[in-house]
Amino acid sequence: MTQQIVLAICSFVLALLGTVLLSALSLAVARSGSCSKSFRFETEARALTLLKDWLSPKQRASYERFRYFDVVGSHTGTRYRIHHGTQTNIEEISGTGQHVCKWCFVPDGDLVAGDVMLAQKIALETNERGALAVAHRSFVSSGPRRF
Amino acid sequence: MATQIVMDRTGDTRHTFDVHDRAEVEKAERRFMELTGAGFTAAVRTGPGEQRVIRSFDPTAEETLFYPRLVGG
Repeated sequence: MTQQIVLAICSFVLALLGTVLLSALSLAVARSGSCSKSFRFETEARALTLLKDWLSPKQRASYERFRYFDVVGSHTGTRYRIHHGTQTNIEEISGTGQHVCKWCFVPDGDLVAGDVMLAQKIALETNERGALAVAHRSFVSSGPRRF
Repeated sequence: MATQIVMDRTGDTRHTFDVHDRAEVEKAERRFMELTGAGFTAAVRTGPGEQRVIRSFDPTAEETLFYPRLVGG
């Protein structure tokens, strides 16, 4: 009888310990996810501030209103529209304002949108040919944007 | 004071140096050489929304931005 009571108490204590450990683990995982999310948010905000510092007033106004801005290629004078995003986010615009194609090139590394767009702007405005030489071009029709 | 801004996974890392301090300028020049040697492009602002790419260290540049080598996306 005594043995059964001791066994029951031990089982109860073990179950209690297990519950406490699981709760602690869940809390740690949740906090880690929250930190990571917060870190990403801060990173993106810092990169967007840097981008806006380097945009012309016209480009900044366009970006703030439409989430895109236009740049002029340094060699051909072609107009490109850089949309907010990190991939296939550059649109070539014809002289009549029509969509021609999309270009995709990015700075190496896992950079956030603000940094990517700034590197794309500088590259197209200072070394258009060099940028397009590494870029991928696509002629997918411009349907709903998913940048 | 001048600043070198290096794009990275944290957004950017900033290195500030005193342009009148020879040791700091030398350190900044070494950083410039290391980064450009590793494929980074260095650019300085020349006006609102305007910039130029530089191939050699410019100690008089108030702000130099470095971005990594471009690759097709």
